[in-house]
Amino acid sequence: MRRSLTPYFFLFPAIITILALTIVPLVYSLYLSFINYEMGRPHIEIRFVGLQNYITAITDMRFLIALLRTFLFVGVVVSCEFVLGLILALALNRNFRGRNLVITLLTIPFMVAPVAVGFIWWTILDANYGPMNHLVVDFLHLANDKISWTGDANVALFSIMLVDIWQYTPFMMLILLAGLRSIPAEPYEAALIDGASGFTLFRYITLPLLKPAILVALLIRIIDSFKIYDLVYLLTYGGPGTATEVASFYIYLRGFKHFRISYAAALSYILLMISAVAITLLINIIRRGTRR
Amino acid sequence: MKKPTKSLAKDIGFYIFIIIVCIIFALPFYWMIITSFKIELDIFHYPPVYWPMRLTDYNYRVGLIDLWGLKAIQDSFIIASSNTLLVLAIALLAAYALALLPVKGKGALLNWILSQRMLPPIAAAIPFFVLWNTVGWLDTYQALILTYTIFNLPLAIWLLTSYIEELPKEIHESALVDGAGHLSTLRHVIMPLIGPSIAVTALFTFIFSWNEFLFALLLTRSKVRPFTVIIPSLIGGHVILWGAIAAVTLVGLIPEIILIILLQRYLVRGLTLGAIKG
Repeated sequence: MRRSLTPYFFLFPAIITILALTIVPLVYSLYLSFINYEMGRPHIEIRFVGLQNYITAITDMRFLIALLRTFLFVGVVVSCEFVLGLILALALNRNFRGRNLVITLLTIPFMVAPVAVGFIWWTILDANYGPMNHLVVDFLHLANDKISWTGDANVALFSIMLVDIWQYTPFMMLILLAGLRSIPAEPYEAALIDGASGFTLFRYITLPLLKPAILVALLIRIIDSFKIYDLVYLLTYGGPGTATEVASFYIYLRGFKHFRISYAAALSYILLMISAVAITLLINIIRRGTRR
Repeated sequence: MKKPTKSLAKDIGFYIFIIIVCIIFALPFYWMIITSFKIELDIFHYPPVYWPMRLTDYNYRVGLIDLWGLKAIQDSFIIASSNTLLVLAIALLAAYALALLPVKGKGALLNWILSQRMLPPIAAAIPFFVLWNTVGWLDTYQALILTYTIFNLPLAIWLLTSYIEELPKEIHESALVDGAGHLSTLRHVIMPLIGPSIAVTALFTFIFSWNEFLFALLLTRSKVRPFTVIIPSLIGGHVILWGAIAAVTLVGLIPEIILIILLQRYLVRGLTLGAIKG
Protein backbone atom coordinates (compact mmCIF):
# COMPACT_ATOMS: atom_id res chain seq x y z
CA MET A 1 0.00 0.00 0.00
CA ARG A 2 2.73 2.41 1.01
CA ARG A 3 4.63 1.72 -2.16
CA SER A 4 1.76 2.56 -4.49
CA LEU A 5 0.98 5.84 -2.73
CA THR A 6 4.54 7.19 -2.71
CA PRO A 7 4.43 8.63 -6.25
CA TYR A 8 1.45 10.73 -5.34
CA PHE A 9 3.25 12.29 -2.37
CA PHE A 10 5.85 13.52 -4.85
CA LEU A 11 3.23 14.73 -7.27
CA PHE A 12 1.05 16.31 -4.60
CA PRO A 13 2.67 19.80 -4.53
CA ALA A 14 2.58 20.03 -8.32
CA ILE A 15 -1.03 18.90 -8.60
CA ILE A 16 -2.18 21.22 -5.81
CA THR A 17 -0.37 24.18 -7.37
CA ILE A 18 -1.75 23.52 -10.82
CA LEU A 19 -5.27 22.99 -9.50
CA ALA A 20 -5.20 26.05 -7.28
CA LEU A 21 -3.58 28.33 -9.82
CA THR A 22 -5.28 27.15 -13.03
CA ILE A 23 -8.53 25.38 -12.39
CA VAL A 24 -9.71 27.77 -9.67
CA PRO A 25 -9.05 30.93 -11.73
CA LEU A 26 -10.61 29.38 -14.84
CA VAL A 27 -13.77 28.31 -13.01
CA TYR A 28 -13.93 31.69 -11.31
CA SER A 29 -13.51 33.39 -14.67
CA LEU A 30 -16.33 31.30 -16.10
CA TYR A 31 -18.53 32.46 -13.22
CA LEU A 32 -17.51 36.07 -13.82
CA SER A 33 -18.47 35.76 -17.48
CA PHE A 34 -22.06 34.92 -16.57
CA ILE A 35 -22.63 37.90 -14.24
CA ASN A 36 -22.55 41.66 -14.78
CA TYR A 37 -19.56 42.62 -12.62
CA GLU A 38 -17.90 45.95 -13.37
CA MET A 39 -15.10 47.04 -11.13
CA GLY A 40 -15.47 50.45 -9.49
CA ARG A 41 -19.25 50.55 -9.93
CA PRO A 42 -20.49 49.17 -6.58
CA HIS A 43 -24.00 50.60 -7.03
CA ILE A 44 -24.77 48.10 -9.78
CA GLU A 45 -26.47 45.06 -8.32
CA ILE A 46 -24.59 41.90 -9.28
CA ARG A 47 -26.82 39.33 -10.95
CA PHE A 48 -26.65 36.47 -13.42
CA VAL A 49 -27.09 37.61 -16.98
CA GLY A 50 -26.85 34.19 -18.65
CA LEU A 51 -25.18 34.29 -22.04
CA GLN A 52 -25.62 38.05 -22.43
CA ASN A 53 -21.86 38.79 -22.30
CA TYR A 54 -21.17 36.13 -24.91
CA ILE A 55 -23.91 37.40 -27.20
CA THR A 56 -22.51 40.92 -26.92
CA ALA A 57 -19.04 39.53 -27.65
CA ILE A 58 -19.87 37.70 -30.87
CA THR A 59 -21.65 40.75 -32.23
CA ASP A 60 -18.85 43.11 -31.12
CA MET A 61 -17.31 44.18 -34.43
CA ARG A 62 -14.25 45.65 -32.75
CA PHE A 63 -13.55 42.29 -31.11
CA LEU A 64 -14.11 40.32 -34.31
CA ILE A 65 -11.82 42.61 -36.26
CA ALA A 66 -9.19 42.33 -33.51
CA LEU A 67 -9.44 38.54 -33.82
CA LEU A 68 -9.04 38.66 -37.59
CA ARG A 69 -6.11 41.03 -37.18
CA THR A 70 -4.52 38.54 -34.77
CA PHE A 71 -4.89 35.74 -37.33
CA LEU A 72 -3.40 37.98 -40.01
CA PHE A 73 -0.53 38.84 -37.69
CA VAL A 74 0.15 35.17 -36.89
CA GLY A 75 -0.04 34.18 -40.56
CA VAL A 76 2.34 36.89 -41.76
CA VAL A 77 4.95 36.74 -39.02
CA VAL A 78 5.11 32.96 -38.77
CA SER A 79 5.50 32.51 -42.53
CA CYS A 80 8.18 35.19 -42.81
CA GLU A 81 10.02 33.87 -39.77
CA PHE A 82 9.85 30.36 -41.17
CA VAL A 83 11.21 31.20 -44.63
CA LEU A 84 13.97 33.47 -43.28
CA GLY A 85 14.78 31.07 -40.46
CA LEU A 86 15.09 28.16 -42.89
CA ILE A 87 17.44 30.12 -45.16
CA LEU A 88 19.57 31.08 -42.16
CA ALA A 89 19.60 27.53 -40.81
CA LEU A 90 20.68 26.10 -44.17
CA ALA A 91 23.42 28.72 -44.43
CA LEU A 92 24.70 28.13 -40.92
CA ASN A 93 24.61 24.33 -41.21
CA ARG A 94 28.32 24.02 -41.87
CA ASN A 95 31.45 24.52 -39.87
CA PHE A 96 33.08 27.90 -40.02
CA ARG A 97 35.08 30.15 -37.78
CA GLY A 98 33.04 32.05 -35.22
CA ARG A 99 30.01 29.81 -35.67
CA ASN A 100 29.27 29.59 -31.95
CA LEU A 101 29.62 33.33 -31.59
CA VAL A 102 27.10 33.93 -34.40
CA ILE A 103 24.63 31.46 -32.93
CA THR A 104 24.95 33.00 -29.46
CA LEU A 105 24.34 36.45 -30.92
CA LEU A 106 21.24 35.17 -32.71
CA THR A 107 19.91 33.62 -29.49
CA ILE A 108 19.77 36.93 -27.68
CA PRO A 109 16.85 38.67 -29.49
CA PHE A 110 14.24 36.06 -28.69
CA MET A 111 15.39 35.29 -25.16
CA VAL A 112 15.42 38.84 -23.80
CA ALA A 113 12.39 40.77 -22.59
CA PRO A 114 9.96 41.73 -25.39
CA VAL A 115 9.44 45.01 -23.55
CA ALA A 116 13.15 45.80 -23.92
CA VAL A 117 13.08 44.83 -27.60
CA GLY A 118 9.96 46.98 -27.96
CA PHE A 119 11.65 50.03 -26.46
CA ILE A 120 14.78 49.57 -28.59
CA TRP A 121 12.66 49.46 -31.75
CA TRP A 122 10.44 52.26 -30.54
CA THR A 123 13.49 54.56 -30.66
CA ILE A 124 14.70 53.08 -33.95
CA LEU A 125 11.28 53.60 -35.55
CA ASP A 126 10.83 57.09 -34.10
CA ALA A 127 9.64 59.35 -36.92
CA ASN A 128 11.83 62.33 -36.06
CA TYR A 129 15.08 60.99 -34.65
CA GLY A 130 15.07 57.27 -35.45
CA PRO A 131 17.64 55.57 -37.70
CA MET A 132 14.88 53.71 -39.61
CA ASN A 133 13.74 56.85 -41.39
CA HIS A 134 17.36 57.83 -41.96
CA LEU A 135 17.92 54.48 -43.67
CA VAL A 136 14.70 54.37 -45.69
CA VAL A 137 14.35 58.04 -46.63
CA ASP A 138 17.86 59.50 -46.85
CA PHE A 139 19.89 56.41 -47.61
CA LEU A 140 17.78 54.08 -49.74
CA HIS A 141 15.44 56.84 -51.04
CA LEU A 142 12.46 54.49 -50.76
CA ALA A 143 10.23 57.33 -49.57
CA ASN A 144 10.22 61.08 -50.01
CA ASP A 145 9.02 62.04 -46.56
CA LYS A 146 9.71 60.67 -43.14
CA ILE A 147 7.41 57.76 -42.35
CA SER A 148 5.49 57.68 -39.11
CA TRP A 149 6.21 54.02 -38.43
CA THR A 150 4.01 53.64 -35.37
CA GLY A 151 1.66 56.58 -35.92
CA ASP A 152 0.37 55.91 -39.43
CA ALA A 153 -2.63 53.56 -39.47
CA ASN A 154 -1.45 51.99 -42.74
CA VAL A 155 2.04 51.26 -41.48
CA ALA A 156 1.74 50.58 -37.74
CA LEU A 157 0.72 46.91 -37.91
CA PHE A 158 3.48 46.31 -40.44
CA SER A 159 5.99 47.87 -38.02
CA ILE A 160 4.94 45.54 -35.21
CA MET A 161 5.23 42.57 -37.58
CA LEU A 162 8.70 43.73 -38.58
CA VAL A 163 9.89 43.84 -34.98
CA ASP A 164 8.34 40.44 -34.24
CA ILE A 165 10.05 38.97 -37.30
CA TRP A 166 13.36 40.49 -36.23
CA GLN A 167 12.93 39.02 -32.79
CA TYR A 168 11.79 35.49 -33.64
CA THR A 169 13.43 34.60 -36.98
CA PRO A 170 16.53 33.50 -34.99
CA PHE A 171 14.27 31.24 -32.91
CA MET A 172 13.10 29.43 -36.06
CA MET A 173 16.69 29.29 -37.25
CA LEU A 174 17.91 27.67 -34.02
CA ILE A 175 15.21 24.97 -33.98
CA LEU A 176 15.63 24.17 -37.68
CA LEU A 177 19.41 24.12 -37.31
CA ALA A 178 19.12 21.58 -34.49
CA GLY A 179 16.90 19.54 -36.81
CA LEU A 180 19.35 19.80 -39.71
CA ARG A 181 22.24 18.68 -37.54
CA SER A 182 20.39 15.57 -36.47
CA ILE A 183 19.98 14.40 -40.09
CA PRO A 184 22.47 11.59 -40.76
CA ALA A 185 24.91 11.79 -43.68
CA GLU A 186 24.03 8.43 -45.30
CA PRO A 187 20.96 9.47 -47.32
CA TYR A 188 22.95 12.32 -48.87
CA GLU A 189 25.85 10.05 -49.74
CA ALA A 190 23.51 7.55 -51.36
CA ALA A 191 21.74 10.27 -53.33
CA LEU A 192 25.02 11.81 -54.48
CA ILE A 193 26.09 8.45 -55.85
CA ASP A 194 22.78 8.33 -57.72
CA GLY A 195 23.69 11.69 -59.24
CA ALA A 196 21.22 13.88 -57.37
CA SER A 197 22.24 17.44 -56.65
CA GLY A 198 21.29 20.80 -55.20
CA PHE A 199 17.58 21.36 -55.12
CA THR A 200 16.72 17.68 -55.58
CA LEU A 201 18.68 16.83 -52.44
CA PHE A 202 16.91 19.58 -50.54
CA ARG A 203 13.46 18.67 -51.81
CA TYR A 204 13.65 14.88 -51.41
CA ILE A 205 16.03 14.38 -48.49
CA THR A 206 16.47 17.49 -46.35
CA LEU A 207 12.83 18.60 -46.31
CA PRO A 208 11.23 15.25 -45.41
CA LEU A 209 13.82 14.53 -42.72
CA LEU A 210 13.50 18.03 -41.34
CA LYS A 211 9.71 17.77 -41.14
CA PRO A 212 9.50 17.03 -37.37
CA ALA A 213 11.64 20.06 -36.53
CA ILE A 214 9.66 22.24 -38.96
CA LEU A 215 6.35 21.24 -37.41
CA VAL A 216 7.54 21.79 -33.85
CA ALA A 217 9.00 25.20 -34.71
CA LEU A 218 5.79 26.26 -36.50
CA LEU A 219 3.56 25.02 -33.67
CA ILE A 220 5.48 26.89 -30.99
CA ARG A 221 5.58 30.09 -32.98
CA ILE A 222 1.88 29.92 -33.86
CA ILE A 223 0.96 29.42 -30.19
CA ASP A 224 3.26 32.17 -28.98
CA SER A 225 2.54 34.76 -31.66
CA PHE A 226 -1.18 34.30 -31.07
CA LYS A 227 -0.58 35.74 -27.58
CA ILE A 228 0.98 38.93 -29.00
CA TYR A 229 0.53 41.73 -26.49
CA ASP A 230 3.79 43.24 -25.19
CA LEU A 231 4.99 44.70 -28.50
CA VAL A 232 1.58 46.20 -29.25
CA TYR A 233 1.37 47.78 -25.81
CA LEU A 234 4.82 49.28 -26.15
CA LEU A 235 4.97 50.34 -29.78
CA THR A 236 1.45 51.57 -30.55
CA TYR A 237 -0.89 50.92 -27.59
CA GLY A 238 -3.32 49.48 -30.11
CA GLY A 239 -3.38 52.67 -32.17
CA PRO A 240 -3.49 54.81 -34.09
CA GLY A 241 -7.24 54.54 -33.52
CA THR A 242 -7.77 50.79 -33.42
CA ALA A 243 -5.35 49.99 -36.25
CA THR A 244 -3.16 47.60 -34.27
CA GLU A 245 -5.65 46.27 -31.74
CA VAL A 246 -5.07 42.53 -31.44
CA ALA A 247 -7.31 40.16 -29.45
CA SER A 248 -5.27 40.12 -26.22
CA PHE A 249 -4.90 43.86 -26.28
CA TYR A 250 -8.61 44.46 -26.85
CA ILE A 251 -9.48 42.22 -23.89
CA TYR A 252 -6.95 44.13 -21.80
CA LEU A 253 -8.65 47.44 -22.70
CA ARG A 254 -12.13 46.18 -21.87
CA GLY A 255 -11.06 44.54 -18.61
CA PHE A 256 -8.46 46.87 -17.22
CA LYS A 257 -9.12 50.26 -18.78
CA HIS A 258 -12.91 50.17 -18.86
CA PHE A 259 -13.10 47.72 -15.92
CA ARG A 260 -15.82 45.69 -17.59
CA ILE A 261 -14.53 42.60 -15.83
CA SER A 262 -17.40 40.27 -16.71
CA TYR A 263 -17.40 41.21 -20.36
CA ALA A 264 -13.62 40.79 -20.53
CA ALA A 265 -13.97 37.38 -18.89
CA ALA A 266 -16.43 36.33 -21.60
CA LEU A 267 -14.11 37.66 -24.32
CA SER A 268 -11.15 35.78 -22.86
CA TYR A 269 -13.19 32.58 -22.70
CA ILE A 270 -13.91 32.90 -26.39
CA LEU A 271 -10.21 33.46 -27.05
CA LEU A 272 -9.41 30.45 -24.88
CA MET A 273 -11.82 28.25 -26.88
CA ILE A 274 -10.39 29.40 -30.19
CA SER A 275 -6.83 28.70 -29.12
CA ALA A 276 -7.78 25.35 -27.56
CA VAL A 277 -9.42 24.20 -30.81
CA ALA A 278 -6.60 25.54 -32.97
CA ILE A 279 -3.90 24.00 -30.80
CA THR A 280 -5.60 20.59 -30.64
CA LEU A 281 -5.85 20.57 -34.43
CA LEU A 282 -2.22 21.63 -34.82
CA ILE A 283 -0.95 19.06 -32.32
CA ASN A 284 -2.80 16.30 -34.16
CA ILE A 285 -1.27 17.41 -37.43
CA ILE A 286 2.15 17.37 -35.79
CA ARG A 287 1.65 13.96 -34.18
CA ARG A 288 0.86 12.60 -37.62
CA GLY A 289 3.79 14.46 -39.17
CA THR A 290 6.41 13.41 -36.66
CA ARG A 291 5.45 9.75 -36.60
CA ARG A 292 8.12 8.04 -38.60
CA MET B 1 36.53 18.46 -57.33
CA LYS B 2 35.81 22.17 -57.41
CA LYS B 3 38.47 24.65 -58.36
CA PRO B 4 39.98 26.41 -55.33
CA THR B 5 39.32 29.91 -56.72
CA LYS B 6 35.64 29.18 -57.10
CA SER B 7 35.37 27.89 -53.54
CA LEU B 8 37.31 30.90 -52.26
CA ALA B 9 34.82 33.25 -53.92
CA LYS B 10 32.03 31.17 -52.42
CA ASP B 11 33.63 31.43 -48.99
CA ILE B 12 33.94 35.19 -49.24
CA GLY B 13 30.30 35.43 -50.29
CA PHE B 14 29.35 33.24 -47.35
CA TYR B 15 31.23 35.38 -44.85
CA ILE B 16 29.72 38.56 -46.26
CA PHE B 17 26.28 37.00 -45.81
CA ILE B 18 27.08 36.04 -42.20
CA ILE B 19 28.41 39.50 -41.43
CA ILE B 20 25.27 41.15 -42.81
CA VAL B 21 23.12 38.83 -40.70
CA CYS B 22 25.13 39.65 -37.60
CA ILE B 23 24.85 43.37 -38.26
CA ILE B 24 21.06 43.14 -38.62
CA PHE B 25 20.74 41.41 -35.26
CA ALA B 26 23.46 43.28 -33.36
CA LEU B 27 22.81 46.82 -34.57
CA PRO B 28 19.67 47.47 -32.49
CA PHE B 29 21.62 46.53 -29.34
CA TYR B 30 24.52 48.74 -30.41
CA TRP B 31 22.02 51.57 -30.93
CA MET B 32 20.68 51.06 -27.40
CA ILE B 33 24.18 51.08 -25.92
CA ILE B 34 25.21 54.33 -27.61
CA THR B 35 21.84 55.93 -26.78
CA SER B 36 22.43 55.21 -23.10
CA PHE B 37 25.76 57.08 -23.18
CA LYS B 38 24.71 59.99 -25.42
CA ILE B 39 24.10 63.51 -24.24
CA GLU B 40 20.58 64.79 -24.93
CA LEU B 41 21.73 66.98 -27.82
CA ASP B 42 23.00 63.89 -29.65
CA ILE B 43 19.97 61.77 -28.81
CA PHE B 44 17.50 64.22 -30.32
CA HIS B 45 19.49 64.92 -33.42
CA TYR B 46 18.73 64.24 -37.06
CA PRO B 47 20.43 62.61 -38.85
CA PRO B 48 21.01 60.22 -35.93
CA VAL B 49 24.46 60.19 -34.33
CA TYR B 50 25.94 56.72 -34.83
CA TRP B 51 29.35 57.36 -33.34
CA PRO B 52 28.83 59.76 -30.42
CA MET B 53 31.94 61.75 -29.45
CA ARG B 54 30.54 63.25 -26.27
CA LEU B 55 29.76 60.52 -23.76
CA THR B 56 28.09 60.84 -20.38
CA ASP B 57 27.02 58.68 -17.44
CA TYR B 58 24.19 61.11 -16.72
CA ASN B 59 21.55 58.73 -18.17
CA TYR B 60 22.62 55.97 -15.83
CA ARG B 61 22.43 58.22 -12.79
CA VAL B 62 18.98 59.48 -13.75
CA GLY B 63 17.63 56.11 -14.86
CA LEU B 64 18.97 53.92 -12.09
CA ILE B 65 18.69 56.29 -9.13
CA ASP B 66 16.22 59.12 -9.83
CA LEU B 67 13.75 57.01 -11.80
CA TRP B 68 14.11 53.97 -9.54
CA GLY B 69 15.70 51.73 -12.18
CA LEU B 70 17.83 49.85 -9.66
CA LYS B 71 14.85 49.28 -7.39
CA ALA B 72 12.96 47.89 -10.40
CA ILE B 73 15.77 45.51 -11.28
CA GLN B 74 15.97 44.44 -7.64
CA ASP B 75 12.21 43.76 -7.68
CA SER B 76 12.54 41.72 -10.86
CA PHE B 77 15.38 39.79 -9.27
CA ILE B 78 13.44 39.02 -6.08
CA ILE B 79 10.43 37.82 -8.07
CA ALA B 80 12.32 35.82 -10.69
CA SER B 81 14.68 34.07 -8.26
CA SER B 82 11.98 33.20 -5.69
CA ASN B 83 9.78 31.89 -8.47
CA THR B 84 12.64 29.81 -9.86
CA LEU B 85 13.36 28.19 -6.48
CA LEU B 86 9.68 27.43 -5.90
CA VAL B 87 9.17 26.00 -9.38
CA LEU B 88 12.33 23.86 -9.21
CA ALA B 89 11.39 22.38 -5.83
CA ILE B 90 7.89 21.40 -6.94
CA ALA B 91 8.98 20.28 -10.40
CA LEU B 92 11.87 18.09 -9.21
CA LEU B 93 9.57 16.13 -6.92
CA ALA B 94 6.95 15.72 -9.64
CA ALA B 95 9.49 14.84 -12.33
CA TYR B 96 11.08 12.20 -10.11
CA ALA B 97 7.71 10.51 -9.62
CA LEU B 98 6.69 10.80 -13.28
CA ALA B 99 9.99 9.49 -14.60
CA LEU B 100 10.82 6.70 -12.16
CA LEU B 101 7.80 5.65 -10.13
CA PRO B 102 4.66 3.86 -11.32
CA VAL B 103 2.06 6.58 -11.85
CA LYS B 104 -1.34 5.81 -13.32
CA GLY B 105 -2.36 7.94 -16.31
CA LYS B 106 1.11 9.38 -16.65
CA GLY B 107 0.82 10.22 -20.34
CA ALA B 108 -2.45 12.07 -19.83
CA LEU B 109 -0.99 13.93 -16.87
CA LEU B 110 2.04 15.08 -18.85
CA ASN B 111 -0.12 16.21 -21.76
CA TRP B 112 -2.39 18.10 -19.42
CA ILE B 113 0.61 19.76 -17.77
CA LEU B 114 1.95 20.84 -21.13
CA SER B 115 -1.39 22.16 -22.36
CA GLN B 116 -1.30 24.66 -19.49
CA ARG B 117 1.42 26.44 -21.36
CA MET B 118 -0.85 27.18 -24.28
CA LEU B 119 -3.28 29.14 -22.16
CA PRO B 120 -3.40 32.74 -23.44
CA PRO B 121 -2.10 34.81 -20.51
CA ILE B 122 -4.85 37.40 -20.90
CA ALA B 123 -7.44 34.69 -20.16
CA ALA B 124 -5.83 34.04 -16.79
CA ALA B 125 -5.25 37.74 -16.13
CA ILE B 126 -8.86 38.61 -15.30
CA PRO B 127 -9.53 36.00 -12.60
CA PHE B 128 -6.07 36.49 -11.10
CA PHE B 129 -6.56 40.24 -10.93
CA VAL B 130 -9.91 39.88 -9.18
CA LEU B 131 -8.66 37.11 -6.87
CA TRP B 132 -5.48 38.88 -5.73
CA ASN B 133 -7.48 42.06 -5.36
CA THR B 134 -9.95 40.27 -3.07
CA VAL B 135 -7.13 38.81 -0.97
CA GLY B 136 -5.45 42.21 -0.84
CA TRP B 137 -2.30 40.92 -2.55
CA LEU B 138 -2.13 43.39 -5.42
CA ASP B 139 1.22 45.17 -5.48
CA THR B 140 3.02 42.40 -3.55
CA TYR B 141 5.90 40.11 -4.46
CA GLN B 142 4.02 36.94 -3.54
CA ALA B 143 1.20 37.59 -6.03
CA LEU B 144 3.63 37.64 -8.95
CA ILE B 145 5.78 34.80 -7.60
CA LEU B 146 2.72 32.53 -7.30
CA THR B 147 1.13 33.64 -10.57
CA TYR B 148 4.28 32.93 -12.59
CA THR B 149 4.32 29.42 -11.16
CA ILE B 150 1.43 28.36 -13.39
CA PHE B 151 3.33 29.41 -16.49
CA ASN B 152 6.67 27.93 -15.46
CA LEU B 153 5.71 24.75 -13.66
CA PRO B 154 4.41 22.81 -16.72
CA LEU B 155 7.55 23.35 -18.78
CA ALA B 156 9.81 22.65 -15.80
CA ILE B 157 8.07 19.34 -14.98
CA TRP B 158 8.07 18.33 -18.64
CA LEU B 159 11.77 19.10 -19.13
CA LEU B 160 13.01 17.54 -15.91
CA THR B 161 10.92 14.40 -16.50
CA SER B 162 12.45 13.96 -19.94
CA TYR B 163 15.97 14.44 -18.56
CA ILE B 164 15.50 12.00 -15.66
CA GLU B 165 13.97 9.40 -18.00
CA GLU B 166 17.19 9.38 -19.99
CA LEU B 167 19.27 8.22 -17.03
CA PRO B 168 19.94 4.46 -16.97
CA LYS B 169 17.22 2.80 -14.85
CA GLU B 170 19.84 0.73 -12.95
CA ILE B 171 21.15 3.82 -11.15
CA HIS B 172 17.79 4.38 -9.55
CA GLU B 173 17.22 0.71 -8.78
CA SER B 174 20.60 0.17 -7.17
CA ALA B 175 20.16 3.27 -5.00
CA LEU B 176 16.86 1.88 -3.72
CA VAL B 177 18.35 -1.59 -3.19
CA ASP B 178 21.07 0.03 -1.08
CA GLY B 179 18.29 1.16 1.19
CA ALA B 180 18.10 4.83 0.29
CA GLY B 181 14.66 6.44 0.53
CA HIS B 182 13.08 8.16 -2.45
CA LEU B 183 13.83 11.65 -1.18
CA SER B 184 17.49 10.94 -0.53
CA THR B 185 17.80 9.11 -3.86
CA LEU B 186 16.45 12.21 -5.58
CA ARG B 187 18.70 14.51 -3.60
CA HIS B 188 21.96 12.52 -3.61
CA VAL B 189 21.77 10.34 -6.72
CA ILE B 190 19.48 11.87 -9.35
CA MET B 191 20.07 15.60 -8.86
CA PRO B 192 23.88 15.48 -9.16
CA LEU B 193 23.50 13.53 -12.41
CA ILE B 194 21.21 16.06 -14.09
CA GLY B 195 23.00 19.22 -12.96
CA PRO B 196 23.15 20.97 -16.36
CA SER B 197 19.51 20.05 -17.03
CA ILE B 198 18.46 21.63 -13.75
CA ALA B 199 20.45 24.71 -14.74
CA VAL B 200 18.66 24.95 -18.11
CA THR B 201 15.26 24.49 -16.47
CA ALA B 202 16.15 27.19 -13.94
CA LEU B 203 17.28 29.45 -16.78
CA PHE B 204 13.95 29.15 -18.61
CA THR B 205 11.99 29.75 -15.43
CA PHE B 206 14.10 32.71 -14.40
CA ILE B 207 14.02 34.32 -17.83
CA PHE B 208 10.28 33.87 -18.22
CA SER B 209 9.67 35.61 -14.88
CA TRP B 210 12.24 38.29 -15.66
CA ASN B 211 10.70 39.05 -19.07
CA GLU B 212 7.03 38.79 -18.16
CA PHE B 213 5.06 41.96 -18.72
CA LEU B 214 1.26 41.51 -18.76
CA PHE B 215 0.86 40.23 -15.18
CA ALA B 216 3.61 42.48 -13.89
CA LEU B 217 1.66 45.41 -15.30
CA LEU B 218 -1.72 44.35 -13.94
CA LEU B 219 -0.76 43.06 -10.50
CA THR B 220 1.61 45.83 -9.38
CA ARG B 221 1.06 49.46 -8.45
CA SER B 222 3.73 51.46 -6.63
CA LYS B 223 5.48 49.31 -4.02
CA VAL B 224 6.54 46.59 -6.46
CA ARG B 225 7.72 47.77 -9.88
CA PRO B 226 9.52 45.12 -11.98
CA PHE B 227 11.78 46.43 -14.71
CA THR B 228 9.44 45.43 -17.54
CA VAL B 229 6.80 47.69 -16.00
CA ILE B 230 8.88 50.79 -15.49
CA ILE B 231 10.13 50.93 -19.09
CA PRO B 232 6.70 51.61 -20.64
CA SER B 233 5.70 53.81 -17.69
CA LEU B 234 8.69 56.07 -18.39
CA ILE B 235 7.80 56.25 -22.09
CA GLY B 236 4.36 57.48 -21.12
CA GLY B 237 5.68 60.66 -19.50
CA HIS B 238 5.64 64.12 -21.07
CA VAL B 239 9.39 64.44 -21.34
CA ILE B 240 10.64 61.33 -23.06
CA LEU B 241 13.87 60.23 -21.44
CA TRP B 242 15.40 58.05 -24.14
CA GLY B 243 18.84 57.99 -22.56
CA ALA B 244 17.64 57.11 -19.06
CA ILE B 245 15.23 54.43 -20.30
CA ALA B 246 18.00 53.00 -22.50
CA ALA B 247 20.25 52.80 -19.44
CA VAL B 248 17.61 50.97 -17.39
CA THR B 249 16.84 48.66 -20.33
CA LEU B 250 20.49 47.73 -20.74
CA VAL B 251 21.09 47.10 -17.06
CA GLY B 252 17.95 44.95 -17.09
CA LEU B 253 19.21 42.98 -20.09
CA ILE B 254 22.71 42.25 -18.76
CA PRO B 255 21.81 39.49 -16.25
CA GLU B 256 19.79 37.54 -18.79
CA ILE B 257 22.33 37.95 -21.58
CA ILE B 258 25.02 36.52 -19.29
CA LEU B 259 22.78 33.54 -18.44
CA ILE B 260 21.96 32.98 -22.12
CA ILE B 261 25.62 32.96 -23.11
CA LEU B 262 26.55 30.55 -20.31
CA LEU B 263 23.82 28.05 -21.17
CA GLN B 264 23.57 28.59 -24.93
CA ARG B 265 24.46 25.06 -25.98
CA TYR B 266 21.80 23.48 -23.77
CA LEU B 267 18.95 25.71 -24.89
CA VAL B 268 17.41 23.96 -27.86
CA ARG B 269 15.60 21.23 -25.98
CA GLY B 270 14.04 23.71 -23.62
CA LEU B 271 12.90 25.86 -26.52
CA THR B 272 11.18 22.96 -28.25
CA LEU B 273 9.57 21.59 -25.08
CA GLY B 274 11.84 18.59 -25.38
CA ALA B 275 10.50 17.66 -28.80
CA ILE B 276 13.96 18.01 -30.31
CA LYS B 277 16.96 16.81 -28.38
CA GLY B 278 19.60 19.50 -28.39
